[in-house]
Amino acid sequence: MTVAAGIGYALVALGPSLSLFIPVISKKPFLILTLLSSTLVWLISLIILSGIWRAFLPLNSTTWWPFAILIFTSVAFQEGLLLLFWKAYKRLEDILDAFADRVSKPRLYLTDKMQIALAGGLGHGVAHAVFFCLSILTPAFGPATYFVNRCSQILFFLVSAIIALAFVTVHTFSMVIGFNGYAEGIKWTNFLFHLFILLLE
Amino acid sequence: MAQTQRPKTLLDSLGEEIIRILTPVSICMFLVVLLVSILNSSSSLSVTSIATIAYSETSSDSSWDKFLGALLNSLAFVAVVTVATFILVLFFYLRCTKFLKIYMGFSSFVVLGFMGGEIALFFIEKFSVPIDCITFLVLLFNFAVVGVLAVFMSKMAIIVTQGYLVLIGMLVAYWFTLLPEWTTWVLLVALALYDLAAVLLPVGPLRLLVELAMSRDEDIPALVYEARPVTHHDSASGPVQRRIWRGRQNVTLDSEDNLSSNINVNVVSDLSSTANIVQANHSGTRMARVEEGQVSERDAELSAPLIDRRMDGQDGVLAESLMLEGMGLGSSGAIKLGLGDFIFYSVLVGRAAMYDFMTVYACYLAIVAGLGITLMLLALYQKALPALPVSIALGVLFYFLTRFLLEVSLYNVL
Repeated sequence: MTVAAGIGYALVALGPSLSLFIPVISKKPFLILTLLSSTLVWLISLIILSGIWRAFLPLNSTTWWPFAILIFTSVAFQEGLLLLFWKAYKRLEDILDAFADRVSKPRLYLTDKMQIALAGGLGHGVAHAVFFCLSILTPAFGPATYFVNRCSQILFFLVSAIIALAFVTVHTFSMVIGFNGYAEGIKWTNFLFHLFILLLE
Repeated sequence: MAQTQRPKTLLDSLGEEIIRILTPVSICMFLVVLLVSILNSSSSLSVTSIATIAYSETSSDSSWDKFLGALLNSLAFVAVVTVATFILVLFFYLRCTKFLKIYMGFSSFVVLGFMGGEIALFFIEKFSVPIDCITFLVLLFNFAVVGVLAVFMSKMAIIVTQGYLVLIGMLVAYWFTLLPEWTTWVLLVALALYDLAAVLLPVGPLRLLVELAMSRDEDIPALVYEARPVTHHDSASGPVQRRIWRGRQNVTLDSEDNLSSNINVNVVSDLSSTANIVQANHSGTRMARVEEGQVSERDAELSAPLIDRRMDGQDGVLAESLMLEGMGLGSSGAIKLGLGDFIFYSVLVGRAAMYDFMTVYACYLAIVAGLGITLMLLALYQKALPALPVSIALGVLFYFLTRFLLEVSLYNVL
């Protein structure tokens, strides 16, 4: 469309994450680092996945089930990633607590832990939004626009921006809830939670 | 609503130094990406400079030819840089520091003046800005002079100094992105290897320079970006310092109280890289080929060894540091990153921007991760470390991975 529209789409996708970023995360440098590292981890997982899937491409786009398998495996991989993050986080928590004791500062509060989880989830969400929405947004800065195939009234970029927004929310809060759930240590509710996310995506 | 004041936890202050060095690097990269995407004239400008004397790439050559040509180019460039670095070491050894300073000032002036001017000219052409010659020259001259003063001569507000350093890095990086593609990539890899060799090998010029500087207790005259030092105040003794851009001590390069101010009272001593780390940037000089007329490539200052300077017995003594912190005296060492690192990170990201934005994000994350790893290694090893290799290796790796793997799969899914 125009530069204005392009920036508008970018903001639709990333606006809430920006509003989360500025008051909460940018105040504490450690959270920024957490955000960057979780973004990186998500990117690495995406690269690995695409490496694996390279062998099976190009997919026949008339049947729907290869896509389903693709999405299913990707999401399952990322849920596994959440688990991995949890393990890493536990170790980090121990290190930080030990350090805090040495420096005689108070241990991590619950809000601190939740903030770390928030930063991690936001990192995932931002990575998702950036890679799936912003990177294809470059044509949107030009003079024309695209419409969706099936329904020719809706702009393609708008749809992708809204979807990206939804994913940001899902990623962010799934990590917070997930960490809380793992902290309690109950097995089957965790499993239910993962199933829920799987279905959602 | 009144909030109960809880004592500040660890989370508030951990990693602050890292962020202070990450922010300007990110800003520089972002500006270069912006420049590259706006002034998209990759084909219309042929840059004749040292980096292309061996071979100038045309798009009709085969891949192998391009690769060989790029290799020759980068070898020539690295050779020139090595020679220049050795000359610099020689000058430093003979204590011609004044001459070096004047030379640095002059080169910054040329960078800001000529390169800044050329880029401004591009802007004027592209956007048809109505401005006349004389105004333009006056503005440019003032801009360049203030830049030189800010960086070298006098003590100014630290944000001006830092801003100008970022600008210089951005200008030089933009010029580097105008080189042909294969040459750029091979050059980056070659420079990363050179940096590794020059800092870690016992005969490397950068290491000699660092050891000379440390043995004489002097400061290396070079373009170095210095982040603001972190002070810790107790919540009782004063307002908590916000992270960025608060005025404090103004550390310039040519004052020897630079050393005395690097007292490490930072509470986070060994875990993160907020130990007293001094990273001196060393400059390799490139000759300006002004007689070419068209384009002269300005050699600014090159890659950084990261030096950890141990402070006079106060390193890591937590009890003392806590006491000093309680009294609010804390003045800690700041992290310094060489301008060459800025430049080459931005070159990598700028090159990635010429392809697609996805590669930009991937490379940015890779470089940041590399920088973090380097800082952690620095805290671990406590000696001079090259800042380029890890980040550039990761950046190049991610660029090629993203370009060939991610894009195919993403576009297929979408």
